[in-house]
Amino acid sequence: MAEARTDRLPVAGQQTAPIRSGRGLLALGIVGLLLIAVGPWVFDTYLLNILIKSFFFAIAAITVDVLWGYTGYLTFGQSAFFGIGAYAAGLVFTHSGFSVSTVLLALGAAVLVTAAVAGLVGWLSFYRGASPFFATVISLVLPIVLTQLLLSGGAWTGSSSGLTGYESFDLSLEAWYWIAGAALVAAGLLAWMVVRSDAGRILAAIRDNESRCSYLGINASLVKIALLVATAVIAGLAGFGYGSFSGVVAPELTGFVLGTELIIWVALGGRGTLWGPLIGAVLINVATAYLSSSMPFAWQLILGVAFVLVIVLLPQGLVPLLLKPLGLGRQASNVPALAERAVSGKPVVSDKPALTMRGVTKRFGSLKVLQGIDLQANAGELLGLIGPNGAGKTTLMRCMSDGADRTSGEVELCGNDIGLLPPDACVRFGLGRKFQNANIFESLTVAECLRIAGTILEKPSLVRCDGILRLPPYALDVVRTTELDRKLNVVARDLSHGEQQALELAMVLALEPRIVLLDEPTAGLTKTERTRIGMVLSSLAHRYGLCCLLVEHDLDFVEEIATRIVVLHQGTIVMEGSFQEVVNSELVKTIYAGSTHTPKETT
Amino acid sequence: MVLLLDLLTTAAMLFVVTAGLMMIFGVMKIVNFAHGALLTLGGYASYVTTQLKLDPWLSWPLALIAGVMVGMVVEWLIVKPLYKRPLDAILATWGLGIVIGQLIVMGFGREVQFVDSPLSGTWSIAGVDYSAYRLLLVPVAVALCLLLTGLLNGTRFGIRTRAVIMNEALASGLGIHSGWVRFVTFSLGAGLGTLAGTMITPLSSVDPNMGMPWLVSAFMLVMVSGHSMPSLMLTCVVFGACQVLVSTYASPVLGGLTIAVLAAVTLRIRPKGFAHG
Repeated sequence: MAEARTDRLPVAGQQTAPIRSGRGLLALGIVGLLLIAVGPWVFDTYLLNILIKSFFFAIAAITVDVLWGYTGYLTFGQSAFFGIGAYAAGLVFTHSGFSVSTVLLALGAAVLVTAAVAGLVGWLSFYRGASPFFATVISLVLPIVLTQLLLSGGAWTGSSSGLTGYESFDLSLEAWYWIAGAALVAAGLLAWMVVRSDAGRILAAIRDNESRCSYLGINASLVKIALLVATAVIAGLAGFGYGSFSGVVAPELTGFVLGTELIIWVALGGRGTLWGPLIGAVLINVATAYLSSSMPFAWQLILGVAFVLVIVLLPQGLVPLLLKPLGLGRQASNVPALAERAVSGKPVVSDKPALTMRGVTKRFGSLKVLQGIDLQANAGELLGLIGPNGAGKTTLMRCMSDGADRTSGEVELCGNDIGLLPPDACVRFGLGRKFQNANIFESLTVAECLRIAGTILEKPSLVRCDGILRLPPYALDVVRTTELDRKLNVVARDLSHGEQQALELAMVLALEPRIVLLDEPTAGLTKTERTRIGMVLSSLAHRYGLCCLLVEHDLDFVEEIATRIVVLHQGTIVMEGSFQEVVNSELVKTIYAGSTHTPKETT
Repeated sequence: MVLLLDLLTTAAMLFVVTAGLMMIFGVMKIVNFAHGALLTLGGYASYVTTQLKLDPWLSWPLALIAGVMVGMVVEWLIVKPLYKRPLDAILATWGLGIVIGQLIVMGFGREVQFVDSPLSGTWSIAGVDYSAYRLLLVPVAVALCLLLTGLLNGTRFGIRTRAVIMNEALASGLGIHSGWVRFVTFSLGAGLGTLAGTMITPLSSVDPNMGMPWLVSAFMLVMVSGHSMPSLMLTCVVFGACQVLVSTYASPVLGGLTIAVLAAVTLRIRPKGFAHG
């Protein structure tokens, strides 16, 4: 949400971009590999020392980029994991000596402790409704707490002077240089593969719109916690390398100052590019080493000012800007081919109704928005939910799709009581919800949005991009009817309002839901599109046996497709029946004419 | 008795330090990460007053004015362009904090400085001698709380501010210049930050990093307390008490971490915050 960035290429530019940028990246990668290979013969000892350290820091910077640039979680805390790794080496080698078994012990400690701490921090930071600020503040608390603990550790942690002079790997400087370089390349490639893979797009989806993720059955908090643990372990291993190489560990390695520096490197290098932060981290480290002796305060000041300027004026960072002439842009993704996915062959034979609501009430303070709602809907039914504005239609849909929302009453989806479960659990029971306003992933392409919608059915690959996009037949119908299939590579933000609505509908259907909630699905569509969508909707119920609930103001549209009408007025169901019964009833006429108070003659 | 006075004065200090942050967070929904640097700036305002041999009381208005001016410039140059990107806004204010810190280091050096206290000596309360200046902070904090509550609830500016808090689009539609409200709030919040820095310096020393230890506690208190000044006061009392108790009976190091850790756990268990009960 915060990353309302403007650095996307225009649509037209994406046609030509891939080849050039692919070549540019390749060239850049080869130059980098060459530098790592021939470094020991080119650089002097001092520079080699600096570079080895900066390679380890750059690995941590890459993890920050994955968390912040791709997932939108601004963290000051990666330094803590780096420091834990470094201290694992320092503490074990100081107190238990250096041998094969202690190396394994230190490595194990680095991995386990970082993972455990990251899990705890993730649990504290990511939960439903947690604000992104809160997660960021927690990430600032972590390094501060850790530094305090190290400072109060006395002789065991070496307190403020840290640990030094412990025995470590007996390797030449060249060997360290190659090891650090290889580790950096490996970390960079791993991160690059993951963020470009189908699973990696979920990270961007969470950044864009966490609530939509939840309504696609994705537990965003869990994904973020898992990601934090993985990146923490990688940062911890980098710290382990740093601690083993330098032979010195100090509390500064865990501190928020280093955490801030990591962010500065990523921001200046170009967040969300991976190679930008990598280059940024290495260059700034080298520059700092040479300049901080000649102008110690001024250099920090220049970095700080540059950081503020970049954040305000150039959110995409400096390195991409400098390298733009080389044709390095953001890469366009490949357009996948559409294919039909056979609807999983378990027709609901259960005798349970698709949806049951018993005595559902919703209050905001003393205001009763819904009361005593009893509603049942079966597979194959298409229920039209009508009522004047403020009758509680949208609230009713919310109570069906989020267990925490209703004040009292019971809701069952396909026989499963939803209790207090969050939306992603309701989606797993077979629910799909289309919101009133198009609720999509704005910075992803149409194809990516549709792919993410299928996440709970087809586990996306962590390393590859699938060339085929499989959708159930009815979702495919929507895509073809609205001609979205010609725009698979268009970023969703650039679609028209009607197209966004259609995209969301297709995403909801791609979930293969058993119950579909549709809040004004045709708002913003043209007359012809309406008619076609209407046909798709009625086929959902009649041909595929889904249970559909439709909120709609256009009564003609409702008449054409609905099998049953439910009238909601002032928070209660006042009438149920066929379209003709409802339309001809005096009660409904008075409600819509708006001249009556709460009708007493309710059913 | 000493413990009770410790509790009260600690809560008062926490409130004074947090009020400016709260002001900005309440209206603008962003956490001002430059708050630590503003506290430091206020500390150096005291230091300058001491160096110029002026009356120490003068440091209070001096700090307030300096803070408001810095706040105006910052809002105009940095916060306003980033209003649509809140996470970038906090990053930019954090970067700004680094810049202010470096400027202070270049101007005054890294050394720890001491300042004159406007009020020295002790007062005797119920047979206990207690630092007069610490005691003074209690009525100051209460007055500040009443003043800010009055400002937000009793004045035309306050009504506009609350309108912006509740529904910015609607407020703008009704002709309230929400940009102006944000500008005034940010400047005032920044001024309160430097004022707090000045107020706490007689109790400690002045150095370029003096704002940091307060910052995290202040962030967490604001996150936990919700949106009103009285609830912030209550939060400060409760968490301040925990801090004092842990510092006294366990260790000062743990005491320094109490607020952050307790607040994080509180928010995890009760996401809506503490004051919403």
